[in-house]
Amino acid sequence: MSTSVEEANAVISEPHGSARALTSRSARMLPDEPVIKIRPASFWAGVDFAEIWEHREVLYFLMWRDLKVRYKQTILGAGWVVLQPVLMTAVFAIFLGRLIKVPSDGVPYPLFAYSGLLLWTFLSNAVLSSCYSLVTNAQIITRIYFSRLLIPTSTVGVRVVDLLIAAALLLGLMFYYRVPLSPSLLLLSWLVIQITTLALAVGFLGAALNVRYRDVGTLAPILLQVWMFASPIAYSSSIVPARLQWLYSLNPLVGIIDGFRAALFHLPLPWQSMAVSAAVTFPLLIFAVHLFRKLESTFADDI
Amino acid sequence: MNPVIRVNNLGKQFILGERERVAPTLREALKNSLKSKAQTLIRGNHSRRATVWALRDVSFEVRPGEVVGIVGGNGAGKSTLLRILARITRPTTGRADLYGQTGTLLGVGTGFHPDLTGRENIYLNGAILGMNRAEITRKFDEIVAFAEVEDFLDTPAKRYSSGMYLRLGFAIAAHLEPDILLLDEVLTIADAAFQQRCLQKVKAASREGTTVLFVSHNLDSVRALCDRAFQIQAGRLQAEGKPETVINNYLKGLPKAGGD
Repeated sequence: MSTSVEEANAVISEPHGSARALTSRSARMLPDEPVIKIRPASFWAGVDFAEIWEHREVLYFLMWRDLKVRYKQTILGAGWVVLQPVLMTAVFAIFLGRLIKVPSDGVPYPLFAYSGLLLWTFLSNAVLSSCYSLVTNAQIITRIYFSRLLIPTSTVGVRVVDLLIAAALLLGLMFYYRVPLSPSLLLLSWLVIQITTLALAVGFLGAALNVRYRDVGTLAPILLQVWMFASPIAYSSSIVPARLQWLYSLNPLVGIIDGFRAALFHLPLPWQSMAVSAAVTFPLLIFAVHLFRKLESTFADDI
Repeated sequence: MNPVIRVNNLGKQFILGERERVAPTLREALKNSLKSKAQTLIRGNHSRRATVWALRDVSFEVRPGEVVGIVGGNGAGKSTLLRILARITRPTTGRADLYGQTGTLLGVGTGFHPDLTGRENIYLNGAILGMNRAEITRKFDEIVAFAEVEDFLDTPAKRYSSGMYLRLGFAIAAHLEPDILLLDEVLTIADAAFQQRCLQKVKAASREGTTVLFVSHNLDSVRALCDRAFQIQAGRLQAEGKPETVINNYLKGLPKAGGD
């Protein structure tokens, strides 16, 4: 039963220089410390950043796969990425802009709506595809190990590419409406980073919970609808009564979208709601990663 | 020589009926959690659920370059052991230390996308298995030759025959060059000729220092390939030693004579 241990001990006691029959087999140097330590799941599941960095090419190839497959199966390809916010903008512009005349902070309504819908489409698609990402990749999860965080991260990454493509049209619209182009690029990039963080946080939560409770995947589109109307996408947040502004800006999307528009259209920056947004978004990501890592240990058993 | 795999008292417990317990809906999860809280209040903190140990108190060591075959009946715990070592699932008790990078082949063509071409799938699958781009490019021709899919590189994988699919999947994994290779019953569906080539490939890898853990129902390939064998039965390491001895022991334990 325990021959191997005795043999192993016998081998250890041999001087290292002694040539064994197995020399060719032992050509590889073994590290002194285990490369992989397997332990039962513990409460504190930290994030192994070194490991994620090591698997960065998996992230790249998962994104590459999704982009590639999309262009193979669809005729419009990148067109769809722009079409979704454009159609929504058209509908909003006709009904809310023309008929109801929703105030838009002095910005032409279509431009106002598109700038919000650009970010909203990104967030909503990113969150939704993250929610389903682990379940769709169940085959990989039950057969190969790499940090599972990379799977929802890759779906968000794909949507960032979409966002950049759709942003080109925003540039065109700004030309068309002769809005001077001197926006603060630094601030805009910061807000894109912040909304990506928010998408990752909500996406991680949705993805991890959806493995156990498939209700989450069904519930997500409904909650997203609610979220959209609770955010200044189709309307300006100036229509919210002043005494409720603090409550309204607890929605982290408010600060991001208002900040984005302010930077684009030279409006006064809503520092307060932007600060609240950052104060909600980044801790939310930490919480989401923690919960994800906790649930991760049973993904393969639950999926 | 130090072991490359060191496993101590490894155990994996599954809760029977776990699906019913946690998975179905949020509503039931809430209901159940309230119910179990109530039960805890009434009976104290000793709720006993039916559980099963898929793996129990398994300890062993494997030296570098060894090829170890794992035999046992269906549901004995062989795959659970491999899945723990591959870090796909966590153990309930015990520990395992691996002194090298692992390559895992628990199923062929993991992550293949039917709409991507053979060429694209080689890169995708290679990356998922742990190779980087430069490595895949370097081994690309070798992989293609091994899988014999030269003429179908730009065909979407959905048009591949199951044999081609399997050959390509194995060829990519076979060129991984990990320190530890974990193989689970992947070759049984391949034809005899390709199985032969795969076994030779595994042998060659072991000569170069790769340690192989190999789960199989094909006792002949365990005999041919392995330096040592484990027999796992009802989650426990039942026997360990020379493949011939372990296999005989395993066959003796079967209720009736007859292969698996």
